[in-house]
Amino acid sequence: MKARFSPLQTIAILLLAVMAVLVIVVPLLPIYDPYGQNLSDSLLPIGGRSFNGHFYLLGTDTLGRDMLSRLALAGQVSTLIGLSAVAVSLVIGVTLGLIAGYFRGPIEAIIMGLADLQLSIPRVLLLIAVTAIVGPSVAGLAIILGVTSWVSYGRVARGMTLSLREREFILSARVQGASAVWNIRQHLLPNVLPQMLIVASYEFGMIIVLEASLSYLGLGVQPPLPSWGMMVAEGQNYLALAPHLAIMPSIALFILVIGFQFLSQAFTKENDLEMVA
Amino acid sequence: MAGFVIKRLLQAVLTVIGVITAAFFLTRLAGDPAALLLPPEATLEETQRLRAALGLDQPLFVQYLLFMGNALKGDFGMSLRESVPAMSLVLDRVPATLELALSSFAVGVGLAFILGILMRMTRHNWVRDLITWIALARQAIPVFSFGLVLILIFSIWLKWLPSYGRGTPAHLVLPALTLGTYELALYLRLFNSSLAAEQRNDYVRTAFAKGQGRIQVLLQHMLPNALLPLVTVAGINLGMLLGGTVVTETVFSWPGAGRLIVQSVSQRDYPVIVAGVFVISVMFVIINLIVDVLYGVLDPRVRLA
Repeated sequence: MKARFSPLQTIAILLLAVMAVLVIVVPLLPIYDPYGQNLSDSLLPIGGRSFNGHFYLLGTDTLGRDMLSRLALAGQVSTLIGLSAVAVSLVIGVTLGLIAGYFRGPIEAIIMGLADLQLSIPRVLLLIAVTAIVGPSVAGLAIILGVTSWVSYGRVARGMTLSLREREFILSARVQGASAVWNIRQHLLPNVLPQMLIVASYEFGMIIVLEASLSYLGLGVQPPLPSWGMMVAEGQNYLALAPHLAIMPSIALFILVIGFQFLSQAFTKENDLEMVA
Repeated sequence: MAGFVIKRLLQAVLTVIGVITAAFFLTRLAGDPAALLLPPEATLEETQRLRAALGLDQPLFVQYLLFMGNALKGDFGMSLRESVPAMSLVLDRVPATLELALSSFAVGVGLAFILGILMRMTRHNWVRDLITWIALARQAIPVFSFGLVLILIFSIWLKWLPSYGRGTPAHLVLPALTLGTYELALYLRLFNSSLAAEQRNDYVRTAFAKGQGRIQVLLQHMLPNALLPLVTVAGINLGMLLGGTVVTETVFSWPGAGRLIVQSVSQRDYPVIVAGVFVISVMFVIINLIVDVLYGVLDPRVRLA
């Protein structure tokens, strides 16, 4: 066990710690209600104080809602959607990838063909088409984002399985009559899982950005529940008057995404692995 | 070479069929198309007559074939909001989207080219580090956030450039910068590593031995070889740029196909959504096909893969 962190890891941990404070600690503090409207306090700047003495650390939006508590709540929403989507895509991708790599033949051709087909439609468009028809909801978003993000896991899992299945420990298990399910669960899964978690740490950032983009377009999280992407869209109309409305959720997104990017890079370097394309 | 082209062509055709199939299921998931077309007070007879006219009383497989036949003709039905074919609405917007995607492509490759050479030529480490960090940071900013930051700086504070609409070249600058710089970090890394790989070749040593200068060797000998991977990856990403146009067009009110799709979603105009997704996916397939074939022409080793 190494006691020291690399510079990249340190930066990643610091950035993610900032986000953890915003998402976990801030909602526990005695702050304003994220839904509480107060029209007389609307559009206050950062550190603004209203005429009746209310202090807002990060200012207020057009309806006089506290930006800090909205940012924190939106962060919880995004993180929740991101984590669930990653879990969904991890399960689907690993399962399909292991099956494709273990059985080969027509099953592999179908699964990998499906992956190619999905990559041939730009992801944002696919998501827009599906949300247009299914309708936006938090659970729906998590499922849709998860189902459309399995390809990276599937490809990596299949690639690793192709070489693992020829190794002696799998061959000997097969010779002893172990079933495919047993082999996949007992021997292949534990071997691909660490790499899958690295893919997941990279994909988490991507999914957060996709969710934010959908919410920016008005197709993701729906009001009154806040989301960073939606807050940016709301702030766009007041860019000249109150730029902090759009900038602060953007900064939150930036910190979260770059934190996870650094984290997955640090993992990749440490384990001397090739990053997935 | 002919075999390679035919194989890629077949793959492209299969993909288009797959896209049409996906579109078919999406439209059927959206509900009964007849119910969408008729006013709510329509009688059962009227509904059934329209269903028969649209072929909706046929078995699902026949419906699928009908849908595919119509899709290949570019017929996705009439827009529910405006009484024009959905396809013509989309096609009207395609030039704007292509203009944005191609300019973004040029911005991305151009910046990677200039910055890559700068990083190679400079003797200052901090310049290299600065460029790398800026590109990395850019990659972590979502397209819409970066677009708004550019609007804030160049339209609102400096008042140099327009923040929305299309028309003059000035209108194109901010959207193309927004979308084109997204993959800059990837391009730079690629360009730098291919330049570094060329450096080790014998012909570079020979050129130095002939007494050519650093700059001349770089520009005259290494560059043509090192550009190939950059242009290929950027070409493959041109397809992804098409996806990125959706958000960029919304940020800058750019009248392209992506913005049309987003607007159609909020108006529940399903034929336009399906036609739009179909057109952009087909453009994506065609671009990838062209890039692959071109790459096969430029680098014969690819054809074997």
